[in-house]
Amino acid sequence: MSAPPSPALFELVDAQMRIGARTLLHPLSLTVPAGRVVGLIGHNGSGKSTLLKLLARQHAATGGEIRFEGRPLWEWGTRAFARRVAYLPQSSPATGSMSGRELVALGRYPWHGALGRFTAVDRQKVEEAIALTDTGAFADRLVDTLSGGERQRVWIAMLVAQDAGCLLLDEPTSALDIAHQIETLTLIRSLCRERGTGVIVVLHDVNMAARFCDDIIALHGGRLIARGTPQEIVAPDTLARIYGIAMDVMRQDGGGYVAMPRI
Amino acid sequence: MADTPWARRRARAPSRLGAAALVLGFAAIGLAGTVANLAMLLPGGGWWAAIVRPDAGLPDQLLAAYSFAPRLVVSLLAGAALGLAGAILQQVLRNPIASPTTLGIESGANLALSAALIWMPGLLGFGREWVTLTGGLLTIAVVFLLSRRSGFAPLVVILAGMVAGLYCASLAALLALFESHYLAGLFLWGAGSLSLQGWEEPLFLAPRLGLAGLAAILLLRPLALLGMEDAQTRSLGLSVGMVRLAALLVAVALTAFVVASVGCIGFIGLAAPALARIAGARRIGPWMLASAATGAALLWATDQMVQVAAVISAQMIPTGAVTALFGAPLLLWIIPRLRLPPAAAGSLSVQLGQSVGRPGRRLLLLGGLLLLALTLSSLIGPTATGWSLALPGDPSSAWALRLPRALAALAGGTLLAVAGCVLQRLTRNPMASPEVMGVSAGAAGGLTVAIFLIAETSRLEQMLAASLGAFLALIVLLLAARVSKANPERIILAGIAIGALLDALVSVLMASGDPRAILLFNWMTGSTYGVDASTAGASLLAALVLLALLPLVRRWLGMLPLGEDTARALGVPLGAGRLLLLMIAAVATALATLLVGPLSFVGLVAPHAARLLGLRRPLSELYGAALIGAFILVTADFLGRTIAFPWQMPAGLVASMIGAPAFLWLLSRKQDLA
Repeated sequence: MSAPPSPALFELVDAQMRIGARTLLHPLSLTVPAGRVVGLIGHNGSGKSTLLKLLARQHAATGGEIRFEGRPLWEWGTRAFARRVAYLPQSSPATGSMSGRELVALGRYPWHGALGRFTAVDRQKVEEAIALTDTGAFADRLVDTLSGGERQRVWIAMLVAQDAGCLLLDEPTSALDIAHQIETLTLIRSLCRERGTGVIVVLHDVNMAARFCDDIIALHGGRLIARGTPQEIVAPDTLARIYGIAMDVMRQDGGGYVAMPRI
Repeated sequence: MADTPWARRRARAPSRLGAAALVLGFAAIGLAGTVANLAMLLPGGGWWAAIVRPDAGLPDQLLAAYSFAPRLVVSLLAGAALGLAGAILQQVLRNPIASPTTLGIESGANLALSAALIWMPGLLGFGREWVTLTGGLLTIAVVFLLSRRSGFAPLVVILAGMVAGLYCASLAALLALFESHYLAGLFLWGAGSLSLQGWEEPLFLAPRLGLAGLAAILLLRPLALLGMEDAQTRSLGLSVGMVRLAALLVAVALTAFVVASVGCIGFIGLAAPALARIAGARRIGPWMLASAATGAALLWATDQMVQVAAVISAQMIPTGAVTALFGAPLLLWIIPRLRLPPAAAGSLSVQLGQSVGRPGRRLLLLGGLLLLALTLSSLIGPTATGWSLALPGDPSSAWALRLPRALAALAGGTLLAVAGCVLQRLTRNPMASPEVMGVSAGAAGGLTVAIFLIAETSRLEQMLAASLGAFLALIVLLLAARVSKANPERIILAGIAIGALLDALVSVLMASGDPRAILLFNWMTGSTYGVDASTAGASLLAALVLLALLPLVRRWLGMLPLGEDTARALGVPLGAGRLLLLMIAAVATALATLLVGPLSFVGLVAPHAARLLGLRRPLSELYGAALIGAFILVTADFLGRTIAFPWQMPAGLVASMIGAPAFLWLLSRKQDLA
């Protein structure tokens, strides 16, 4: 395992999540470094979405402690936290009758609040986000009339406008075709490279995770089962432990590794 | 992910024993009540002999034989018929919340009966069951026509049915208002009274219900196949259309006979099949039988309890209203346990035109329109000598009488529209509104309790009581929504249940014959008749203050429709924000309900109308809706004063006459876009 190059973004100490008698996430201790793309993978129900929701403060952990930038999560004010951490839920909700630009502008809420003025800075950040995500073409269309890939990009633009140092994305590619998946993940990766944004992203496809993430965390049954670089994770025996089926790993021409279920 | 905790909770089999015990419990209550009532009636015993061979010289025995016993039989028959009708409707429509009540069949049949009673009593000579049957069939035909485009999506059918039912109830109320000498009797009928003299009713009901029951048995096999997809059914060689039509006819007939005989008895047809299903009756034959048995037990228990209560309180209480009184909480209990097809919600998502336009100009136009309506309404009106112009300054002119009413209507419309907008955005539900969600009914309930408990109520006390009622209704609703994970259909259903509960409470009080009931009735229909200048001024001021406060919450209103997760991720203080918005909605509804009654559909229609005009952003939608709502009610007030001059129709009722069809039109139109 490589040592984190920058100070820790999230630190978990025995964080866990239980609902009733069921444990969604067993006590988990882990450090997530800043400025990197970290992939969360695992089978359905492995606890990856739960973990992301804990980090995003969508749910409170039922035990243990989670710190963000050295401070416990509960200590952060609602808006102060939103200025630092942006979260994209698994299914982007219907937006009623909102135009792309209006949706992106909502990302400025943590900065101006319920009553503050929408300043020139806010406007500039919105335009920047639209330019960066290349969503100018749909900025004045209603979000609900966009295609799945376009809509996802507008949502990511909103997260960019939020100007947070950390993005938490729950399966941002689940509804997209392969070309749009590549496009979205490339965008996320370039955000990390150009702005130093820390990204934690839940991904279904281990090959996508291997290609776009610096670091992969694998969960199984609510426990951490493997963590490492893509190279370390995409290995037959590790994959077998993560997904519970035999996988073959092939080397691509470009130098990457591709995993395929063994049939 | 498939295995979220709530998916698991729903997958867990609902407690069958609980439901079965509940049914047996109702039967036990019925039995105990019967014994208690007989013991009160005939303390000396010898009950059977008294009923079979009453001694004509003993009034107690005559009462037992010609009032108590037929009533018992009718309650069992009517309960079984409604339970069976509900089961058939649910099977035919593949809709677990279909019932004679929720499809508007009962109200439609009742309206037909009222209309015939007043205008064409000769029709009743052919048999009142034909009148109610026609009414019920017409209502269900309208409901189907409206929901056809959605492919009969369960919620669309139910919404169309509930609104059609409310519309019929409003019309019946209007009839009662004009023909007030029939008022008391109609009310008892409309609220489902089982008090009888003689064996005529059981003898009327038994053969007709028997016939319909026989038809149901013949339809059993084809009905079983209807539970599957149409294509599959057709491939099994069944004419889907014919079976469906025949089964619907049987269900409507069962309901119509009951309405013709004893009036509207709410919720039995919904609760009985649901209870039977939860109790574990899976196959159609046993399920229908169990539905009928459960319905009979429910109505039996209710009616016996009502009789016990009547003896204690010395007042006549309509049983039908009481079934709603406990049927509605039952519905609230059932809602989270129902399995609804997941696709239904999608068909209701609002899709709007592309028009972005300039909201400022549209708002200005709407404002001009409102001003024009206000001016016309207060300046001109019919008098005994024809239409006249009343100018301000002339002491004898009607100006001073008309303006306060118009202003009160304006304030009421504004407040309702704002409440509707806030609720729709808060609950992310395009069909939410104070009227549909029972908030108006909550306000009405609060006011009713205040009027009956406090001898002299001041305007302020009335307002407080109404606000409290509205707020309580909203809280109950949101708790129910929390249990059902904010599923829009379940929220609406919970709202309907709360509304029905409070309506039932009000009907029970009104049917009690208390003089205050007439006062309440006038107010319930939304009359602006009694509004004086100071009330109008205060209401207008309240509406203006509300409008001025709205910019403070505009950003929350913009973000809440995106869902809890997104709003929280953006740093919106969810708890405080929701509470504030709820309070705004509750106070606005309460104030409006005091002015224009709980019946109008302005809170539902105005926000949609605003969005149809291309006012999309929270603030322009709110102000646009406020102007539209005000316009509708000012116009309604004007129409109510002039149409039937010298009689006056209440503004709220006239608005619902406009608003309900508008809602139904919206409902059928929206499906095209979905």
